[in-house]
Amino acid sequence: MIPTVDERIASIVRSLSEVILPHLPPEASLAQEQVQLAIGHLQILRGQIDHIPAYEHEELTDAVAIATALLSSITGGSAMALALDALRASIGGADGGDVRGQVRAIHQAIEQLVQAVAIDGASGANAMLTTTILEHERARVAKDRKWFLPFGFDTM
Amino acid sequence: MLNDMEQIHREILDRRRDNRGLPPYRAKLIPEVTDILAQYFAHILPGAVVSGVRRVGGGASKEQFFFTLSQDGKDEPFLLRMDPRSAITETDREREFVLLKAMQGIVPVPEPVWVDAKGDFFPQAAAIMRVVGGVTKPSLSGVKVSGLGTWLGPDLRLKLRDQFLDHLIAIHAYDWKTANLPGYDVPDADPKQAARWSFNYWAEMWRIDEGATRPVTALAQQWLADHLPDTAELVMTHGDYRTGNYLFDEDSGQITALLDWELARIGDFHEDLAWVLMKVFGTIDADGTFRASDLFEREEFIREYERRSGRTVNRQTLHYYDVMSSWKTTVIVAANGLAAARSQHNHQDVLLTFLAATAPMFADDLVRLLSQGDNQ
Repeated sequence: MIPTVDERIASIVRSLSEVILPHLPPEASLAQEQVQLAIGHLQILRGQIDHIPAYEHEELTDAVAIATALLSSITGGSAMALALDALRASIGGADGGDVRGQVRAIHQAIEQLVQAVAIDGASGANAMLTTTILEHERARVAKDRKWFLPFGFDTM
Repeated sequence: MLNDMEQIHREILDRRRDNRGLPPYRAKLIPEVTDILAQYFAHILPGAVVSGVRRVGGGASKEQFFFTLSQDGKDEPFLLRMDPRSAITETDREREFVLLKAMQGIVPVPEPVWVDAKGDFFPQAAAIMRVVGGVTKPSLSGVKVSGLGTWLGPDLRLKLRDQFLDHLIAIHAYDWKTANLPGYDVPDADPKQAARWSFNYWAEMWRIDEGATRPVTALAQQWLADHLPDTAELVMTHGDYRTGNYLFDEDSGQITALLDWELARIGDFHEDLAWVLMKVFGTIDADGTFRASDLFEREEFIREYERRSGRTVNRQTLHYYDVMSSWKTTVIVAANGLAAARSQHNHQDVLLTFLAATAPMFADDLVRLLSQGDNQ
């Protein structure tokens, strides 16, 4: 690809930082802040862009893993049965096509399941749900925090 | 029970929902703000002249401008605090105005002077207050150690910490029962109502702004719904009490004004304590020592609050509000902020999407807190 995405982002960053920002008047504080943030955003994107597909596919893999673990471990009444069916359907559609949409669908189905456990989860279902979610999310959250480290907020 | 909340919060949520389809919002230009202010004062204070309008930097929610108002040969500086069309926190200017009035003489606060609660003159709701001197962070805060919170350093820390805690205790001791506070409802129908009002408001905000859920967020929300604590004593809470939300004189270390009262409500003092103690608003030393708002270590803060206020901190209730704080910040950055940016209803979309990168930190807090179980 000519020019590469990296070359294009680099040229935008240089334009913003060396041409536009120095020419903003001192009183244009909001514009200065916004340009600096835009530069920061673009620089982070530049570092991440090649890794985004792998990151999102891993997110989907992790979502399928937690959903599968939940499907095999908890049961309950009619509300639970509906929620489990929806969760099963959501991972059935996880073919790696629309990765972001598929992750969202699985997470929404898990949210329904969490609510269903509160309605008619079987004995021990809530404890199992909690343990499973926390175990999987502990690992997933660590990956997400690492991904967003360049923003400078986190201290992990 | 999901509808059980303060009347003003119901109105704010309805407004948020109704405004979703409105066209994009553009940051106001200085000449436009000057013109709006001139028209406003021509109506309420004929003869007054507006000049020197300049934007105030920082902040993530309101458009703020300093300006000078001249009348009868006298110049006075004021601050205009104006809502964008949507913000990272959706609040009510009149409610904040009422409390700032009430807090005069109780704790240091800016003096509110005028309010346009319904946006009759301004594009959106706006309030005007007298300018107070001071800074929200030290000039050398660029050498911050780490984290989102402001690093104060040992000298300022020593000067600020007692004031910070004593002002919080003074807010909690405020006699709201005998005060006239229109717009502030009292959650006294049952012992759980204070917690329920807070939970219901933020849960509905999450739904309206279509926050992208993740398993631990869903788990936290259900846990909060299932574990509403009793509130033993209803107090006035600030809602966003932390370093960064007060002004101080950099030389003397005197706190000159407590800011950002828009999330204040009558509720449980544990909600304020948990907010102060959030990791994201504190600093962590190289040796791993955490200080809330860079002022107190966690246990030291709780102990000192108990000693000075005479209250007992219920650890189980504090744990509940620890979870609620991390969940609430998730709603703020991952639902409210992103929805405002997506709809182009804010003047700082790029800041809002930048701040959303903190969401995994709050998810991490939720994993840690929920792993501790129900009993603390």
